[in-house]
Amino acid sequence: MKTHNGRILTICIIATIVALAICVQFVRIQNMPVAQQILDDSKAYQGVTQLVYPNRGNIYDAKGRLLAGNETTYEVGLDLNAILQPETVAKAVSDVMGIDYDKVLAYATTEPGNGNPFYIQLDGFVSPEKIMRFEALVEEYADMELGRNEIRPRLNGLMWTPHNKRSYPEGTTGSNVLGFYKYLDRTQGMGYFGVEETYNTLLAGTPQMVYTAFDPQKLSMLDEIPPGADIELTFNREIQAMAEQELDEAIEWSGAKGGTILIYNPKNGEIIAMANTPRLDPNKYWNYAELFPNPEPFNPTISKTYEPGSVFKAITVAIALDTNVIEMETVYQDDGSYEIGGVEIRNWDYGAYGDVDMTDCMRWSLNTCLAWMAEEIGPDNFYSYLKAFGFDRNTGIDLGGETHWPLKLPGDSNWYEIDLATNAFGQGISVTPIQMAMATGAIANEGKMYVPHIVKAVIIDGKRFEVDPVLAGTPISADTAKKVTEMLTETLMDESYENAYIDGYTFAGKTGTGQIPTEYGYTNPLTNASFVGWGPSEDPQVVIYVWMQEPTRDIWGSQIAAPIFSKVVEKLVVLMDIPPDSIRLGENAVLQVLESGE
Amino acid sequence: MSTITQPPAYKQAPWRRQIQIVGAFMLVLVIVATIAGLYLSISGRAAAAGRRIQQLEMREHALNLEINDLRSHLAKISSSISLNERIGSLNMRTVDPHTAIYLEVPGYSPDLRKGIEKAPLPEAPKAQLLPEYTSSLWDWLRDKIWTISPNLTENPNEAQP
Repeated sequence: MKTHNGRILTICIIATIVALAICVQFVRIQNMPVAQQILDDSKAYQGVTQLVYPNRGNIYDAKGRLLAGNETTYEVGLDLNAILQPETVAKAVSDVMGIDYDKVLAYATTEPGNGNPFYIQLDGFVSPEKIMRFEALVEEYADMELGRNEIRPRLNGLMWTPHNKRSYPEGTTGSNVLGFYKYLDRTQGMGYFGVEETYNTLLAGTPQMVYTAFDPQKLSMLDEIPPGADIELTFNREIQAMAEQELDEAIEWSGAKGGTILIYNPKNGEIIAMANTPRLDPNKYWNYAELFPNPEPFNPTISKTYEPGSVFKAITVAIALDTNVIEMETVYQDDGSYEIGGVEIRNWDYGAYGDVDMTDCMRWSLNTCLAWMAEEIGPDNFYSYLKAFGFDRNTGIDLGGETHWPLKLPGDSNWYEIDLATNAFGQGISVTPIQMAMATGAIANEGKMYVPHIVKAVIIDGKRFEVDPVLAGTPISADTAKKVTEMLTETLMDESYENAYIDGYTFAGKTGTGQIPTEYGYTNPLTNASFVGWGPSEDPQVVIYVWMQEPTRDIWGSQIAAPIFSKVVEKLVVLMDIPPDSIRLGENAVLQVLESGE
Repeated sequence: MSTITQPPAYKQAPWRRQIQIVGAFMLVLVIVATIAGLYLSISGRAAAAGRRIQQLEMREHALNLEINDLRSHLAKISSSISLNERIGSLNMRTVDPHTAIYLEVPGYSPDLRKGIEKAPLPEAPKAQLLPEYTSSLWDWLRDKIWTISPNLTENPNEAQP
């Protein structure tokens, strides 16, 4: 009995020692330096951490119509571990996707591991139609009736995974404003030009690292990854399409190198339409370099400067009226030339018009008269006003790539006295169409000038944040603005402006024919033909700027740009639901306007 | 004086003692088996729920892709280019502004909708997992006991103030 108890005691002691040793080993292993590394490594087998990119936000026009969105495309690849019949897979991929059979077969027969990949991507952007063909093949194989020794064909290992691709349903319409998103780069893709570039951060949202456990017990609700913000633009698709159509027809008709039609709301700075040439289909953005060879800008309205010519006279006369240098009734005696800084200025037709009032100066677009006005205003005043109108800086429009030409100022090494005179009628000064539209907006909107903008609202998580208009300044008084509008309304009703006449509507406007400087002076026989107009005159809703680059049909703005302006306005008033004068003002008021015009 | 050791007056019968030992062992076994079964059941349900969540998330992703796709498709077939093509194929033409007559219709007001303005969306109800899926077995049992015991101590006949 004693021996028996001794054995039990011995076994108990040994068991206790072993148990203690195991416990000590537990503690030791868990505290080894390599333990933490083993724990960290084990996480790779417990789940997967992925950087998840949110859906890129949509872009809508002012009426909520989609301009840029996302559509489904597929990544097709081979899971090498799962492939059972490499030949069947290679045949299917070759037939559906047009990839070389031998190439796919070589991929499909690759042994995974030992330095080889486990997954091979064949194409990152396969259309849903092709995926439907794969699905049809799978179904066909499953339903196939087989003979005794036949083997059922299988596409195991061929994988297709859906993901988003940027899509522009309107194609080229408004593409110069939208820009494009390089969707082929799925991780580093970003927006280029236009809204896509300026608002890239908002549209893209915030990518997040998301951990997904393989153990279903450890699965919890994944955090919602909010999509990028949606953006609503100020421009109207119908008006944009109309402006682009008119521009394309005008370029063909006039033989111009390119052109711009800009429609701007002077009351708040909203861009209603911005038509340019050439236009890129952002769905095929890789054609960019071919369509825009350096240094052709993507959006000439904001990025291309030119000497505007006589459209600039509207600005000069506004400055002259605002500084009280002239009254509307002031008479200028035009003898056909005006000397300043030792240089003689002549009229466009080399004519002399005798005694003319200020309205006639604008009606006949007399360079001599405007040169005299500028000298009367004085360089300090004149250039202070030009700065107030924003000609010395970018307008601040919310589109990528805006530029401006530096304003030459008295005291600069490249400024001469003659510049004061030529600047007054739009030569020797370079502007962008957007600068001209913003400045003219001050005349159309009681002296108040708004920063042009293209984004009307940003929608984040279903909440809409309106973009408030930003006042860029008040360069002239409301009284001056009214006088200039009256003056240029009257001139537009004149026979010499019949090309710009709009049946049933009263608009103000000014033509412009800008000579093109070369390194030898103004030797280029071609011109830039422009027209700026705003209306309806009693309460302007829009400023319309037309610029045709180097037309070959005719050199004059009155012959090229004015009729385009007229055609655009005729359609615009219908699309914008602007009633004709007879309804807005009543029949009597229209008669009064006509009588005063006569 | 010599001490005489006497056997106890009463002793459990060997078979009774064996039954007691076996009974105690079986009791422990049943308790362990019950706890293990319970744990297995809850683990199974937790895993099934996790898998279901995973499937629903995949479904949500697929639906989001489909919504985007349909929205883009709708925009394509109603784009200005498509509409112009359809107008042409239907032998229709856009109205000539010169022939258009502006009519005032009493009571009509133009479309003043603000683009894609949306009412703030109601907050989606947050999915909540039952504590059975998130708490340990011990916590779960303690909670159950706590929720049951007040009911047992309550006297339904007690006068209410």
